[in-house]
Amino acid sequence: MQHNWNFASVFAYWDVLLIGLWGTVYIFAITCVLGLGFGLVVGMMRYSKAWWISYPARVFVEVFRNTPVLVQIIWFFFALPVVTGVEVSAFTAAALGITLNTIAFSAEVFRGGIQSIEREQWEAGKAIGMNYAQTMRRIILYQALKRMLPPLTSRGIEVFKMSTLASVVAYSETLHQAKLIASYEFNPIEAYTVVAIMFFLVLLPLVQLTYVLERRFGKSD
Amino acid sequence: MHEWDFAATLADMDFLLLGLWNTMRVFALALLFGIPLGLCIALGRMSRIPVLSQVSSLVIEFFRTTPPLVQLFWFFFALPILISVQMTPFVASVITFSIQSSAFFAEIFRGGINSIDKGQWEAAKAIGMSRRDSLRRIILPQAVKRMIPAFAERSIELLKTTTLISTVSYADLMFQANELASKTFRPLEVYTVVAVMYFFLILVFSQLTILLEYRLAKSGEGTLR
Repeated sequence: MQHNWNFASVFAYWDVLLIGLWGTVYIFAITCVLGLGFGLVVGMMRYSKAWWISYPARVFVEVFRNTPVLVQIIWFFFALPVVTGVEVSAFTAAALGITLNTIAFSAEVFRGGIQSIEREQWEAGKAIGMNYAQTMRRIILYQALKRMLPPLTSRGIEVFKMSTLASVVAYSETLHQAKLIASYEFNPIEAYTVVAIMFFLVLLPLVQLTYVLERRFGKSD
Repeated sequence: MHEWDFAATLADMDFLLLGLWNTMRVFALALLFGIPLGLCIALGRMSRIPVLSQVSSLVIEFFRTTPPLVQLFWFFFALPILISVQMTPFVASVITFSIQSSAFFAEIFRGGINSIDKGQWEAAKAIGMSRRDSLRRIILPQAVKRMIPAFAERSIELLKTTTLISTVSYADLMFQANELASKTFRPLEVYTVVAVMYFFLILVFSQLTILLEYRLAKSGEGTLR
């Protein structure tokens, strides 16, 4: 059987797709900013010498790195309301799952980056009279961020791809909207092909950017 | 306040364990097909024939930048119409995750092979080996050792990604959990038990990885990240 490709049946619903695209960008922006922000906090906690700071951070990282994001999203959507008695929206459940996962993964990147800075830099900071916070902020983080840029960009790409999981709890992001179009127009081939190509076109430049960053920051300092 | 009651969930534990078994089946098959396919794509990408290497890079980039859920939907809903065959959720899942992970494995293979010193290639050439022989006998055995931690990490990612197959109604652990939750009206207990099951499953794998990395480090091999 020869299939007649008919992309017009997808693009006729461009406004439906546009809502999805906005949904994707929205959830990506929120989870990425919160995930990386709190990831830095948890990463610094992991690095702390006080066990009562580093241990909870470690447990948090292990729990959220070792459970699939989909399980977390489903848990927040169906189980959390039972515990708290408060309705959890699809967006909240998905954003919570993706954010916690991103925090756990980026915390390890931040910790690795901070650890990779030589001891002498800490001593130098101390020698000119800086305290811990000042040394961390002005000397260590500043240098570590450069080394962490490639893995953090990869994390961002993963987060963008992860946003499709929100479709499982019917949050209207791109994949969910494509599903709607496919079930309405019976054109799954075109609908899902369009989504795949959209993601490819958005993320390809970012992937190229990680290659450039790796070449520039990966080896030399 | 909610009263926790695990009795209903634990009574149907065999139902969940069946799901776990199905998860492991897809996981194992995806690895079985994905790793050799990844090696082929990696060799394609490193080939001196421009067309072959360009097509291979395109395949790698495409499957690395598109979300696995989109790929799964494509293989499950679109491909059967396109080539007019019946597609079961199981077959669609195995195809999707084999190809998806092969793109990532290909990059690991390429990194590993590239990390081997050029002198090794020259040494092989000097004793009269062809390019293929030197790859098989000299380069790959050394490269694979360096790639093991990256492989393990990728496999864990794959294991977590297999939860997606519940969305095409394949009876994996996640799907069984959904069924059980709606049957028992105890989503909190069911999903908590399933989360704990996944946690320990993945924890075992990740601890093994750490052990492996430690042993490789001790034997003086640089590991690839």
